[in-house]
Order: sequence, then structure tokens, then C-alpha cells
Amino acid sequence: MSFDTIVIGGGVMGCSTALHLARGGMRVALVDRGPLCREASGVNAGTLTLHMTRAALVPYAMRAWQMWMDAEQWLGMGVLATHVPGLTLAFTEAECALVELRAKARREQGAPIEVITPERARQIEPGLHPSLLKAGYCEIDGFASAYLTGRAFGHALKGAGVTVFENVPVEGIDSGDAGHVVHFGGSAGGVREPLRAKRVVLAGGVWTEPMLAWLGVDIPIKVLVNQLIITERIRPVMRSVLSVANGLLSLKQFANGTVLIGGGWQGEGDRERGGVEARPQNLVGNMRLAAYAVPALAEARIARIWLGLEAETADALPIIGDVPGVAGAYVVGSAHSGYTSGPFMGRIMAQHILGQEPDLPLFDPSRLLGMPMPGA
Amino acid sequence: MAEISPHPIPIPVDVLVIGAGPAGARAALRARACGLDVLLVDENPDAGGQVWRPLPPGFARVLGSTPSTEARDGDALRAELRRAGVACLFGHKLWNVGTSLRADLIGPEGSMSWQPRALIVATGTTERVVPFPGWTLPGVIGLAAATILLKSQNMLPGRRTLVAGTGPLLMAVATGILKAGGEVAAVLDLASQGDWLRTLPSLAARPDLLWQGLQWQARLRAAGVPILYRHGIRSVEVAGPGFNICTQRVDAGGQPISGDAAPMFEADAVTVGHGLVPGTDVTRLLRARHRYAAGLGGWVADADADGRTSVAGLYVAGDGAGIAGAAAAGAHGELAALACAHDLGRLGAASHARERDRLQASWRKSARFGHAMAGLMALRDGAVAGIAPDTVVCRCEDVTRAEIDAAARDGARDMNQLKAWTRCGMGPCQGRSCGDVAGALLAIHAGSREAVGCFTGRAPLRPVSLAEVAGDYTYADIPIPKAAPL
Amino acid sequence: MSLRVDQAVRRGPAVRFMVDGHAVEAFEGESVAAALFAAGTRALRQSPRDGTPRGLFCMMGSCQECLVWVGARKLPSCQLAVVAALEIETLSYREGHLG
Repeated sequence: MSFDTIVIGGGVMGCSTALHLARGGMRVALVDRGPLCREASGVNAGTLTLHMTRAALVPYAMRAWQMWMDAEQWLGMGVLATHVPGLTLAFTEAECALVELRAKARREQGAPIEVITPERARQIEPGLHPSLLKAGYCEIDGFASAYLTGRAFGHALKGAGVTVFENVPVEGIDSGDAGHVVHFGGSAGGVREPLRAKRVVLAGGVWTEPMLAWLGVDIPIKVLVNQLIITERIRPVMRSVLSVANGLLSLKQFANGTVLIGGGWQGEGDRERGGVEARPQNLVGNMRLAAYAVPALAEARIARIWLGLEAETADALPIIGDVPGVAGAYVVGSAHSGYTSGPFMGRIMAQHILGQEPDLPLFDPSRLLGMPMPGA
Repeated sequence: MAEISPHPIPIPVDVLVIGAGPAGARAALRARACGLDVLLVDENPDAGGQVWRPLPPGFARVLGSTPSTEARDGDALRAELRRAGVACLFGHKLWNVGTSLRADLIGPEGSMSWQPRALIVATGTTERVVPFPGWTLPGVIGLAAATILLKSQNMLPGRRTLVAGTGPLLMAVATGILKAGGEVAAVLDLASQGDWLRTLPSLAARPDLLWQGLQWQARLRAAGVPILYRHGIRSVEVAGPGFNICTQRVDAGGQPISGDAAPMFEADAVTVGHGLVPGTDVTRLLRARHRYAAGLGGWVADADADGRTSVAGLYVAGDGAGIAGAAAAGAHGELAALACAHDLGRLGAASHARERDRLQASWRKSARFGHAMAGLMALRDGAVAGIAPDTVVCRCEDVTRAEIDAAARDGARDMNQLKAWTRCGMGPCQGRSCGDVAGALLAIHAGSREAVGCFTGRAPLRPVSLAEVAGDYTYADIPIPKAAPL
Repeated sequence: MSLRVDQAVRRGPAVRFMVDGHAVEAFEGESVAAALFAAGTRALRQSPRDGTPRGLFCMMGSCQECLVWVGARKLPSCQLAVVAALEIETLSYREGHLG
């Protein structure tokens, strides 16, 4: 079977790219070794915040925020994107300095973030711990239910005429002047026929590193194994999205009353095995921080703990653009907090591939060639 | 900065036994007899599991009353545990197990961890109820729940109770109600008398059980209780202080047969159960291999005859490994303990083989009856197919059959995708009440139970509060690594 | 007619415990779920989405339908023994329609 473009990886980056390409007139196939949006894109905390987004990504996150809020219009089905303000909290002097620094950096990129007093913070969020010293406040913040993303994109992709292959693992890509041949590994239905296309887009999240290796390109991508905790439904205890200035807490309460606790505390796992198990001391640390920030959470019972793999490049910025040295090959994603800006990143990737001027500049992958991973 | 110590330092034991029912208690006793360092853990206040529940604290048997066989067996087991000096942690919740088999527990004094060399999981079963309109009403309870009320709490479910479902608990509960002075509105059994007759050969070694069964039948008939075979509940509706229960005829697969007029009953309580489902929370969390065995109750850990699973050091025993009955559970627990002792190098091959052969023979004999009962209790496809669309399937989240079917039509092909798209299984019961029936419903679309799989096992194994896990701390006790990238 | 069956057992001392600020007669040691059931309080909470009444169902700590608050702890009442001066709140009382 042959297409104009094959997108490998059905997370939010790959789905958005495929959707925008198809709406731009291309014949598109989207392939994933599992169901759509079941890795990072389906299990993340769904935080749509500017506080914890890299300053350089603020303009992208703001556009993506609007896309998530409008998902019913352009995607056809929403992910329960909810607009609430965001507060990033400081409980120590060092954290106060961080709040100021981070707010300034983001204001410079266009984020409407101001530093406010604890009294003002408590007007917005009455349940905060009394020892709060300072807070960063942003009116544009919110959250989505990430686990709904696959169903939403599935409908839209079908409607746009994208041929979706789920539960089909890709084994390799043969690239040449005539285009690319995408080979599949064995699956329940036996080995499939390869797909052919002039263009291929790698959108594999943490798996983009081995995908690039198929094309002979070496760009290391760090794998973060994030722990997430969700409570059972509880009475309303908070009404904003909360984070702590050090970046280690993400807290939100959904309309159904469940509270999602995250913040990047690490569990055990890797690219090959996926998330393996939580680290109890990191569960305890995360929960202590959550119950400190909002004391009412101490009573809440935990219903489930899970792990998700998040990608991070050497400079913690996304890779969006041409695969260095390989004609007709592109890469999109592998970004810290990629869900927040995912729909917009897919749009600019598609614009570039369609030969249009992208709404905002891309992130040249070649900058990472030879860049050492910090701490490696 | 205060040192972060979420749990006291793990203390090594040889084998940790989870669950102090017939299988777990026997496993612990046998392991101790083999010279192993054993710790037996149960969230209940004492050993006995569901089938041999002790009386509540402060209750005493009246002098001259004849305790039932179960009461005697339970008391004997508890006494034996105390005499043997088996270390027990009752009232402790297991909320997590690591891949190293480290067990994280929460008890009255706080949280703790134990690092065993082996883990024997004997967590028994939960009851399955195939949903019908009205099954969530207060006053509609499980058959196992009615058994606990009658035998442990010494309480009736109501003045006049309708008893429905399938399996050996039906008659036991119905006669238990009569003996306690209550009325039974009717007994509805999905099975036919033929189904029961076909279990007779399994009773060859248990004339006592056969006699008991016949006595139960006689007692119900003498009391004029209607016993309707091949009948189930169609709906329960509130009627004043009680209920109106509409019944329906069903075929051999449990599918409702429409058109036939079926009687209606009045009662102030309904007790219903459609079999037992092995508990696989721990084995799924540890990613042991599982297989689907309808005749054993559903999904079970794939284990050998001694209870060894696909994970080294992890053993399963008792009904949680596949329904074989309480009598077989004890032998199974001992087999697991012996295998564990052998695998840990504390029991020679010859001694192991001798004991193992004897116990396996005993297990086979006891399991014959248990398996026959499991066959009666197995989930009937027709019963699942007959669930009305607006019926709640996931009680915690009010997810209906219609929503499950819609997700399936939209492309949900496995249990985890179903969960993500409908919230079925996301509530505090963690899929224990709905998982088996939801799996059967999804399998109608996806082709087989194997194709749809199970909910991925996750911690916590039971809901635990942040306060229980976090303990006492100050802000300085929270380790803060480097700041997030700017 | 009481639901309690006294043929074969002697219960512990009769006690009172508080439920949503009202006294309920019971016997020390029985489970709170059973005691409430016997007292005619069968509805313990409302389901979260549809608001339908729910009460004890499994009696073994699995179904999470019989939850009650004891101070700052939320527990299945089938796993909570009655003691004199016990104070519990139902979920409906403490949380309103949230289950």
C-alpha cells in the first residue's frame, strides 16, 4: 500500500500531524504498535499550564491551550478540557526566588503570569497551606482528561480519511531516493505487507531514539518514568491547577471529584520494558508534598497509581523538523510536557511538510547531533 | 534535613503469606513446620477467611448450642495457628508489592515493609453478580454477604428474603434464613435440576455433603418455599418498605426466555450471587502470566500443581488460584508451602516428593466436589448477553452496559481501553465488582476473553489514604531534587 | 421483628454509637454495616454520577459501597466494629451528593 506520508507513532504529536496533513490534502497512514494515545499521551496528568512549561515553549503552549479548549470544534470530540487559573507555590525563600525567576522568564515570552501575595492566592484557592509565602498566578491554565485523547483523535482521523493501523509494530524503515518503505514486525495477524510513502514522520515519543536509529541518525532521548496518583472522588477541595516552584508537584481536581497528583517523581522502568513499578519513597514524597500544599488531601484515598514514560532531549526542548541527512523524513515531539502543546506542534509539523510557513518556528533536530545528554 | 523514612527498614522473612483463610493458614503452618521464617498477613482481625469467619469480638456461643462444621473447623484452625506460634499480622492491609516481592503494608500503627524471599498469595475470591435493574438498591446484597450476616453477625438480611443466583451458596443461604427464623420468598436458580444431578458423581467421596444437600431441599419444601430452577431475577423495584421482584425464565446458557409469564415476588430483602471469581490483584500487579479458565471462576494465575507461578518466588494457593473449594484449599496451601521450602533449599527432594504425592492425592479428592460446584457457578454467556442496556455494570462509576457497548463499537478492544473510554473500573473497588462481567461484555464484541484481557494490575491493592502512606512529616522531610528546567 | 438472631450466640454488651449525630442501638463487636442494616438504615451513600442510593453489598471490604467516615478516616463499615461512643458519619452526611 502506498501513501503520501506515513506517520509512525499515534500519540498526540503523531495524531495531530496526521490529522493536519490529511486535512491539507495528503493521503496519510498512521501506525502505532498499540492503540492510539495509550502511552504518554493517554496516561499523563493532562496539565495545560504555562507555569511548568519551558519559557521558550510558552507561545506554543498558549496556542495549544486554545486548541484543547476548542477541541470539540476542530477535533469533533473534546477531552473535557477545563479552564481554571494556575498557581505555582513557594513555601521557602529559595522557592520564592524561583517563583520570581520563572514568572519573569515566562512573562517575557508572553505568558500573563504575575507574582501574588499569599492572601491573594488564598482568595483564589482557599485550601492552601497557611505557610505559603508567595505564588505565581496565571489566568490561562487548566487541565484535560488525557485518557480520552485516543477516542477523540480516533474519530477525527477516521473522518479525515487517515488510514490508521493500531496494534501493528514497525520494525524498520528502508529509505532511498524514491521514498520510504516501512516494515512491520509480527503481530497477532501475522506479518503485514510493508507500507510505502514519499514521506515519513517519526512521532515516537521516548521511542523516537530507536526510530531515528533506523534511519542512521543518533539523537539521544532521555526516558523519564513518571509516577501518577489518582484519588477516589472526594468533596471539592481545590479549584485551580497547583504546582510548586521547584517543579515537583502537579495537582488538580477534576469535575468528577477525583484529584490527580503528579510532578515527575520517578519510578522504575525503561524504554524496553515500559513503566515497571513505583518507588515507594517517591510515592511518599509526592503524597507528602500534595498533602502539604492542600491539607484537605490528607483524608483522600488513593484509587490507583500508574507510570508513564516522558521524553526529554539534551536541551529539554522538542525536536520538530527535518531528520538530518535523510530526504523526506521528519520528526516531531519528544518534548517534556509534550501533551500541553501537542496539538499545535502537530499543526506546525504538518504546515512545514505541506510546504506552508509554520505558525511558529520549528525546533531543528540537527542542533542535537553531538550534544551530550546532561549528567551522562 | 530529616531523613526520609517512609517505612521502617524492611526486615527479612523467608516467606510472607497473604491471606489467612483455609489455604493461607495451612500454608503458614506447613512453612513453619518446615523450619521457615513465616509471616502471615490478613486485613481481617483473625484467621479463617470468608468461609471460616470467626464470631465478632465479644460474641460467644451459647452453651449447649451445636456449632456448625464450619464454625468448628474455623475455631480449630485459629487455635492451631496460636499453638504453632505462627507470626501473624492481622488488621494489616497489603497495598503494594514490588518486583523484589517486597510487601508494603498499612496497619493500625502505620506503614511498614517486609522483604520476603518468597510470597504465597492466598487471597481467595470475590463474589460475582450479573447485573439486573435494581441490583444496586440498598437491601440487595450478595449471597456471600448474606452468609457473613447469618453466620458471623448472626443477623437476617430481612424478614422475608428472596434468594437468587446459582451455585451451592443458594440453598445454604436459603436454609440458613429459615433456621434463623426468617422467611424465604423464593429460591431462583439459573441451574436446572439436571445440572445439579450431574454433580452427583463428585459427591461420591462426600456422602455428608450429599446428605446435607438433601436435607436442605427437604427443609425448603416443608416450609413451602418455591424453588424455581432455570429462573433468574429480571428486575427489582422498590415497593413501599420492600421490593417487588420480577423473575424470568432462562435457557441453559442463562439467556432470558421472553414471552413466558414468570412469577413476581414480594420481599424486603434480596440476596443474589452468580458465582465466585478468583482474586488476582496481587498476581496481576506482579505481572505473572494468567490464563482464562471459566470452569475455575475466570482469570487465574497460570500455575503448576504446587502453585508456582511464572514469577520466581511467587506462589498461589486456594480458591484464589482457581475455585476448588475450602476442603481442597488447605491441601493446596500446604503444597505451595512445601514447594516454597524446597525451592528455598530447606526441604530435600525426596522428603518433598513424599509429602507432595500424599497432598496432591488429597487435593484431587477434595477438589472433585469443588470443581463440580465451580462448574455450576461459572459465568453463563447468556446471562451476560441478557443484561438490559440501561443497567449499571460498574457500580462505582455508574457505567451502563450501553456505554460499554458504545465504547466497543467505537473500537475499544481491550479492558484497559474500555476503562479509559468509559471509566469502568476506575472507582475505589478497582474493578473487583465489575471486571468479570465487563470483560464478558467486551468479549462479545472482541471475540474472546483472552483477546480483551484484564485490567492492568496497579497499586494500591486496596484504597489507602494519603495520610496512611505519608505518615507524620514536616516540609523539610520531603526530599526536593534539583529544580525543573527553566 | 428484629433482624438479630439470638439462638446460638450471646452478644457482647448493648451499646450506643453515633451516626450523623443520632444515637443508634447496637451490640459491641458487631460490624457497623450490620448494625445499621439492623437499625433500618440501609442507604449509606449516593452513587456519584446518578445519585442513586447505595448500601452494603459484599460484606467483605471489596465493593466499597458501605463506606463511612470515622473522624478523618474513610472505611468500609463492614470492616469496622461497633464500640461504645463510636462516632461515624455517612458519606451523604459529610459530603452531600458525591458518594
